[in-house]
Amino acid sequence: MTTWKLLMTCWALDPLALAVCVAAPIAYVAQRAGRSGARPLPFALALLIFALALASPIGQLADGYLFSAHMLQHLLLVLVVPPLALMGLAPALGPAAQRGISRLLFRPVIAWGLGVGAMWLWHEPTLCDAASQSPLVHRVQELSLLAMGTAFWWPILAPRGASRLPPLGGVVYLFTACTACTLLGILITFSPVQVCSVFAHPVDRLGVMQLVRDGWGLTAQNDQQIGGLLMWVPACLVYGAGILGVVGRMLREHADDGAMTTEGTP
Amino acid sequence: MSTATSPLDHVPHEHAAEEHGPFAWVATVDHKRIGILYLFTSLFFFAIGGIEALVIRLQLARPNNTLVAPDTFNQLFTMHGTTMIFLVVMPTLVGFGNYVVPLMIGARDMAFPRLNAMSYWLLPFGGFLLHFSVMAGGAPAGGWFSYTPLTETPFSSTPGTDYWVLALLVLGVGSVATAINFIATILTLRAPGMTMGRLPLFVWMTFVTSILVVLALPVLNASIVMLLVDRQLDAHFFLSTGGGNAILWQHFFWTFGHPEVYILALPAFGMISEVIPVFSRKPIFGHAFVAASTVAIAILSFGVWAHHMFAVGLGRTADVFFVVASMLIAVPTGVKIFNWIATMWRGSIRFTTSMLFATAFLVEFVIGGLSGITLAAAPIDWQVTDTYYIVAHFHYVAFGGTAFGVLAGLYYWFPKMSGRLLSERLGRWNFWLMVLGFNLTFFVQHFLGILGMPRRVFTYPDLPWWGTLNLISTVGAVFMGLASLLLVANVLHSMRRGQLAGDNPWDAWTLEWATTSPPPHDNFSEVPPVRGRRPLWDLAHAGGSTPPAASTSTAQRVLDKGAVAVWCFIASEAGFFLILIIAYVFFNLAGQEPVGPSSSNVLDVKKTAAFTACLFASSGTLWLSERSLHKDQTRPAAVWLVLTIGLGAVFMVGQGAEYLGLYQRGVGVATNLFATTFFTLTGFHGLHVTAGLFVLAIVLGLVLSRDFRGRRASLLRAVGLYWHFVDVVWLVVFSVVYLKAGR
Repeated sequence: MTTWKLLMTCWALDPLALAVCVAAPIAYVAQRAGRSGARPLPFALALLIFALALASPIGQLADGYLFSAHMLQHLLLVLVVPPLALMGLAPALGPAAQRGISRLLFRPVIAWGLGVGAMWLWHEPTLCDAASQSPLVHRVQELSLLAMGTAFWWPILAPRGASRLPPLGGVVYLFTACTACTLLGILITFSPVQVCSVFAHPVDRLGVMQLVRDGWGLTAQNDQQIGGLLMWVPACLVYGAGILGVVGRMLREHADDGAMTTEGTP
Repeated sequence: MSTATSPLDHVPHEHAAEEHGPFAWVATVDHKRIGILYLFTSLFFFAIGGIEALVIRLQLARPNNTLVAPDTFNQLFTMHGTTMIFLVVMPTLVGFGNYVVPLMIGARDMAFPRLNAMSYWLLPFGGFLLHFSVMAGGAPAGGWFSYTPLTETPFSSTPGTDYWVLALLVLGVGSVATAINFIATILTLRAPGMTMGRLPLFVWMTFVTSILVVLALPVLNASIVMLLVDRQLDAHFFLSTGGGNAILWQHFFWTFGHPEVYILALPAFGMISEVIPVFSRKPIFGHAFVAASTVAIAILSFGVWAHHMFAVGLGRTADVFFVVASMLIAVPTGVKIFNWIATMWRGSIRFTTSMLFATAFLVEFVIGGLSGITLAAAPIDWQVTDTYYIVAHFHYVAFGGTAFGVLAGLYYWFPKMSGRLLSERLGRWNFWLMVLGFNLTFFVQHFLGILGMPRRVFTYPDLPWWGTLNLISTVGAVFMGLASLLLVANVLHSMRRGQLAGDNPWDAWTLEWATTSPPPHDNFSEVPPVRGRRPLWDLAHAGGSTPPAASTSTAQRVLDKGAVAVWCFIASEAGFFLILIIAYVFFNLAGQEPVGPSSSNVLDVKKTAAFTACLFASSGTLWLSERSLHKDQTRPAAVWLVLTIGLGAVFMVGQGAEYLGLYQRGVGVATNLFATTFFTLTGFHGLHVTAGLFVLAIVLGLVLSRDFRGRRASLLRAVGLYWHFVDVVWLVVFSVVYLKAGR
């Protein structure tokens, strides 16, 4: 098998991805009717990345072959899909519904715990192994990652300004989450033991291991390092981008001239 | 709003003694005087560090020179680096910040004037400790980064490194205290209308820098404490002979060291961002971009330390990630450069000395940035690391960048501080000599590095070009020395005979120019209304409809300065403990258990769990005490406080008993790495609990002795936050050290 062939053939028709990708746009358009200001682009991007994470070779390789592919999928589901979707949702949710969500589920401390928990919990060796061996657990993992990611990003990107954290709080929220995530990344990168033992000796159903080990020159140790580094460096950049967004919003809202009105503040 | 205290209803008498008494400058808590003290102290150390640099250059002027001995040379470059970073650049930036930040935001002083004075006095104390080493057997000689194992006792037996550690601890405490002070000042003391989005960029960058200091300095403090434990108590954190790891030092040091680079650079960026618009007669281009890119740089700075360690051999995988992340820093930095250039574009530029230095900054800093990008590529780094190419690179950043920025700031703000302008004629000589000398000194070092001349060698063989290039470099250094003398002469001359400046000699826009030069003790008789980013411009062009000034000012008073300070202090302490915990995990849990005593065979989890319960209970009782006090019930509050202190004391007794038991079984700090990390981690926690007990005792005394309502209640809240934090730390320590042992 060659890299090209892998990229072309290793696609799976994931029922969940398919269902979401069909249902979500319909719901989005239906909700959006009569409301202005929705941003379809981030929403479409979120759907596309979601589909890629599940159905593309990333999803296939994450399924017990490559720890790094698993990490990529993990990060996409927690750190990329939920914020993009929330950005796209802007006014699609009614104010009452939003207040309800904010009050019931997403207190910042809990949301923070869920977001950081999403990183640490599923890399507990037993859970990590279980997720890559049982399809059911894997599905639970994917859904919970999405849910925890959404909870995490809600206080930053909630469509209504009133549900968001104030700027300084937002920066602290994201920075501490980034620190917690970085620590795990460092731990995984430098850990001499295999975090998920499944990835050390994959069951080669697709016949790609020769390509991975010899063609790409990825040893199990290397693979885990890449996974750890993905969580350490690029994940941190996502949090960093979030911080920049929050700071940018603050600077914009306290605009240069008093003549410009403050927008978005309650 | 502008509480119009005219100079007349203000009582000048209470300050009169303070301003003119024999100890006026020693006892001062005025931010302006402290700022000037900072500046003169750093000028003093700049002279010392500069002379060291000149001796280094003279020794290297010819091949096979014998002016100084190899060991002296090592001491010289170590002292030069340490002095310039910790005793010159950081205090200079803090000095300017101290003087200008409260003025720029329309405040009367820093948030904590006495803490400010303490921060300053730690500077001469730290400088004294560092230089005392010379008399105590030899200055430190292991480079400003003190790489282990070179700086461990077997290889550096003189006490130089110990003094280096002590000095940096003292300076580190001072820096963190100042940073907390800046954060509290900027968050809570802004004039009405001065929103965060309207902050002058120098203030904004001082704010971001202060956050970096609060988060990065504790990492240095924790690692040098470990180095001190190694050296004084025969432990082996960083010595491979006892199972320690020298590379760990490099990771810790650069986790601090890379943000430190930006701590040294960002405030200078801020000065440039003030100077360039004023002398180009245009508002800064893309204010929000300059402000936000500062935040981007600050965030990235924590994620790229490993690019200082490409030569260590972290593996190709890790290298790739850090190459990419390091190159990313060029983006926000480039954004700034373009903003500054765009500000100058089509402006009516006045090339005062200040503006000349700002322009030179742009050129030199771009050169330093470009060589930095080449170094971010790991293969190039492997070739030129530890050569003069690196020396050239960081001097272009630290001198061509920071120092030129500071000089621009000095020529800009000196009139405000002294009431007199610096001489432009001397200034021009100063500028051209400095630029010429600087480029002569350091540009040729790029070539020397590529030719393969290593840094930190006391001499070199007579290879083709090496002698010539080094001689050019030395001549340049002499020019820089002359330029510095001119600067000092200019300052001393202009302080007495300079042309009178008036309130606003540059026709600038920020609040510090609204008051007299130098400003009165309380800074402003009346703070002008702030309606935009350029309040004095708005004031001068106030025709037409002026929007209400206080549109967003209601929200900014909510923050309590005490709470802000305690939270910052907690963040800083958390960083300190995080490093100690990482060291514990690294040596005990990440690999196999160390030979000899370990958490599973010498610790009694159940007994400690009981004492842990006491500590957690004390958090509860303290909360009850706070609640009683809130309801003005002094007696129950005192009872709960006594109970808190008692429970804390019981915990300390438990820890003492545990230590005694271990000691009797022959387990000491130096026994093995478990013992070292265990005692260091729990010991520092114990120290914090003990400190907390003292503070609680003081609070108890206050509660018993007098009425505790009003502002004192916020004191108990602050102390309470600290006490809860110490408990949370113990929660982590207990889980990591004791509970993990059961597995």
